[in-house]
Amino acid sequence: MRVIISDETKVRFRYPARAVGIVGAVLMIVSIFLPWSYGSGALDDVGFYGAPSPLQFAFVVLPVLILLLLAIPLVGKQRLGQWAKTVAWNTSAKTASLATLATVLIGLAAIAIELKGLVNIDVGGFTALVGALLAAVATPFLPDSPEPTLARVKSPTWLQILGIVLMMAGVLFAAAFALNQTDAGAFLTFVAFLVGVVLVLRQLGVMAWIGIAGANNNRVLVLAAFATAFAFPFTQNGSDANMSIASQVLIFAAAALGLNIVVGLVGLLDLGYIAFLGAGAFTAAILSESAFSTLDFHPPFIVVVLISGTVASLLGLLIGAPTLRVSGDYLAIVTLAFGEIFRITMNNLDGNDGPNLTNGSNGIPGIPDLEFLGFNFGDAHVIFGVDIGRFANYYWLMLLVIALIIVVFMNLNYSRIGRGWVAIREDELAAEAMGVNTFALKLLAFAGGAFLAGVAGAVKAHHDVSVTPDQYVFLESAFLLAAVVLGGMGTVVGVLIGATILKLLPEKLRFFSDYRLLLFGLLMVVMMQFRPEGIVADERRQMEFHDEDEELAEEIEEELISHHAHLNPERRGFDL
Amino acid sequence: MLDLFFQQLINGLSLGALYALIAVGYTVVYGIVQLINFAHGEIFMVGAFGAFATWMLLGQPTDWGVSASLLILLPLMLLGGIVVSVTVALLTERFAYRPLRNAPRLAPLITAIGVSVFLQEFVRLFYGRIPGFPDAKSAIPFPSVAGISGEIVRIGSVTIQMPALFTIVALAISTLFLWFFVNRSKTGRAMVATSQDPDTARLMGINVDKVIVAAFAVGAGLAAIAGVAHGLNYGNIDFRMGFLAGLKAFTAAVLGGIGNINGAVVGGLVLGVVEAMATTFIPGQFGSSAWKDVWAFALLILVLVFRPQGLLGAKVVDRA
Repeated sequence: MRVIISDETKVRFRYPARAVGIVGAVLMIVSIFLPWSYGSGALDDVGFYGAPSPLQFAFVVLPVLILLLLAIPLVGKQRLGQWAKTVAWNTSAKTASLATLATVLIGLAAIAIELKGLVNIDVGGFTALVGALLAAVATPFLPDSPEPTLARVKSPTWLQILGIVLMMAGVLFAAAFALNQTDAGAFLTFVAFLVGVVLVLRQLGVMAWIGIAGANNNRVLVLAAFATAFAFPFTQNGSDANMSIASQVLIFAAAALGLNIVVGLVGLLDLGYIAFLGAGAFTAAILSESAFSTLDFHPPFIVVVLISGTVASLLGLLIGAPTLRVSGDYLAIVTLAFGEIFRITMNNLDGNDGPNLTNGSNGIPGIPDLEFLGFNFGDAHVIFGVDIGRFANYYWLMLLVIALIIVVFMNLNYSRIGRGWVAIREDELAAEAMGVNTFALKLLAFAGGAFLAGVAGAVKAHHDVSVTPDQYVFLESAFLLAAVVLGGMGTVVGVLIGATILKLLPEKLRFFSDYRLLLFGLLMVVMMQFRPEGIVADERRQMEFHDEDEELAEEIEEELISHHAHLNPERRGFDL
Repeated sequence: MLDLFFQQLINGLSLGALYALIAVGYTVVYGIVQLINFAHGEIFMVGAFGAFATWMLLGQPTDWGVSASLLILLPLMLLGGIVVSVTVALLTERFAYRPLRNAPRLAPLITAIGVSVFLQEFVRLFYGRIPGFPDAKSAIPFPSVAGISGEIVRIGSVTIQMPALFTIVALAISTLFLWFFVNRSKTGRAMVATSQDPDTARLMGINVDKVIVAAFAVGAGLAAIAGVAHGLNYGNIDFRMGFLAGLKAFTAAVLGGIGNINGAVVGGLVLGVVEAMATTFIPGQFGSSAWKDVWAFALLILVLVFRPQGLLGAKVVDRA
């Protein structure tokens, strides 16, 4: 929905609009010192005078931003100098106002629902609502700002690194804060706030600037990202609930990254990918020291991981070799059929309908924790005075696995193999004509992706303690695919975001669990209509999905040129 | 031994007739828009629920005589199922698939998965909310139709369940109808023309949008008949029943040569017979009925390896 306000109107009303917007921002800032609700059952208690809750303190960032964006231009263009053009003052204020309104509305709705009734909203809530409405109504009357040029500002390396580090610290803080919201309303409100902040930062050009800084300081970016992820357990103070979610997210993300190679790079739609994860998990379970394991062979975990990966990739070869010659649609269904074959077979190998390997639908329970060089993953311990529980151990292990996958992925992406894959995805006939060995490359992708899933499955078996066939149903394959599609096919960051959203939201929004799949289905349909390239778009993919959109094509071209001008030309692949 | 063979042949044919009725929908749509309508299994499921709803609206008749049941109840239930299926299919076509007609082929396939999950969940969550209707979160017993349910026919030592016979007869009539529709009606011939060459068909004045709608409608109608047949054969319906049936029917369509309507019928029958025979004649543990789905899917993979164009053959579409 876009309301069109003519430029004339905007010029005429620019001063009153600014004034009303500032009043709105001030009202919202004041509101956090007032109680938002009667009673303490909603949004983690926002019912005090003069003592804002942590959530309110976080929220106030947006109104303060609006205030600054609206007030600073008042000092005049001359005094602002180059900054007048560097920042998109008005447009950003507009985005921030709309985001604030959305956050306030969600917060008030949460109060009304959790305390049963609109009457529970107190004076602070109404002040915030009025303020947000004022700002959201007034700011669209401001004249549009030109495109921000922040991304093109030359900045010294130390500043770029500082920017990256600050961003990562922000991500860590936000993740910890969001996960600690046990209340669904508070969680949703905070998520709305976060989305708002990200949108405003994008509008300001901060995201583009960070992107260029990251491209210039690739190693710093990667190291900072891993340091952040590594530090996450320290923010949890030994809380197993959140670490369990976090380690599950990482296992899911590892599998999704493997699928991303197959779907995102090579364009092979695999609808039975969960079977490879399952193959790894079952292999690890059977080779584990569990009392229910059916083989009397228990090698150390390092060997088990390799065997699990190999078993999975052998299955990949087995299914890939005959089917990769047929066209893409068939492959989707054949892999789907293969996923079903896997699940049914695991169900049937119970000693009754077949040889006993998996105990049938009971699966293999009681898988012991990992032992690694005398270190038991089940033991809790204290590092730097912070309790580190069982799940944190698995979290770090999965982090290592993911790091490995990302290194493989990035190196492949820029290698001869990776270029061959992309060529196959774009046009298989043309690729073959250019001398790309399409069959071998497709098979390699299939087996490689299966290997990664097998490794993730091996860890999952120990993490979950038990492995049963019904954990590996088609819906799980669909979820993995959704993580790749939602996040952005062919990108690492996108898939990580997609996996996090798909695993985290259901955990945090339990009251919603009955409607989870309904929304999931709807999301897939809507996503394909309006943003088929996903949240984080791979540039080439974006072109593919919008090949009739000339404007977008030019925009991306320009972006690419300005982007690559900043990169050092000798940068080839990816190194750590 | 020979009796067992004929018994399993009949069982297989009735199972196969069910697959064939659904498979036609996959084949017709694929032939024209090259879309694997992954949600087609759910159209079949929705048809069964539509027929059940018709029975509810008729006041849940349980004591109608044979002639009243066969001449009024059954046709009305079939009609109700067809109306619901066709409506849902046309809605998905209009709002989910049509906007993606020129998108890369990954997009409609993913949309189809989304539609499939959505329809299943929609029925599960909201069917029971209709006043007086049973909760659809678990299987619902399907009404019995006097003259069909529970009746059997004996030929020698071979026993034929009436619902199985109904499925086979329904397939025979539907195939006849399809043949006339495709070869004699204007819309049917337009469908053939469009599947052979959509651009030329458009130049010849064929409204391709209309043809696509017709393809979805025909497929959905047959799927609804299959839904009723499923209910009569197994005695209950379930929001999950479309997944496996859809997958099997797709296998049947590929088996016969996707895009080829006769192929879908033949493929369905062959698949049904193979499944029935496998559970009887494969010796040892692997012959138990727990493995029959594995054998069906193994057949799919074998066909794709050795004869990707299917038993009856179809043009191999490559839109690369």
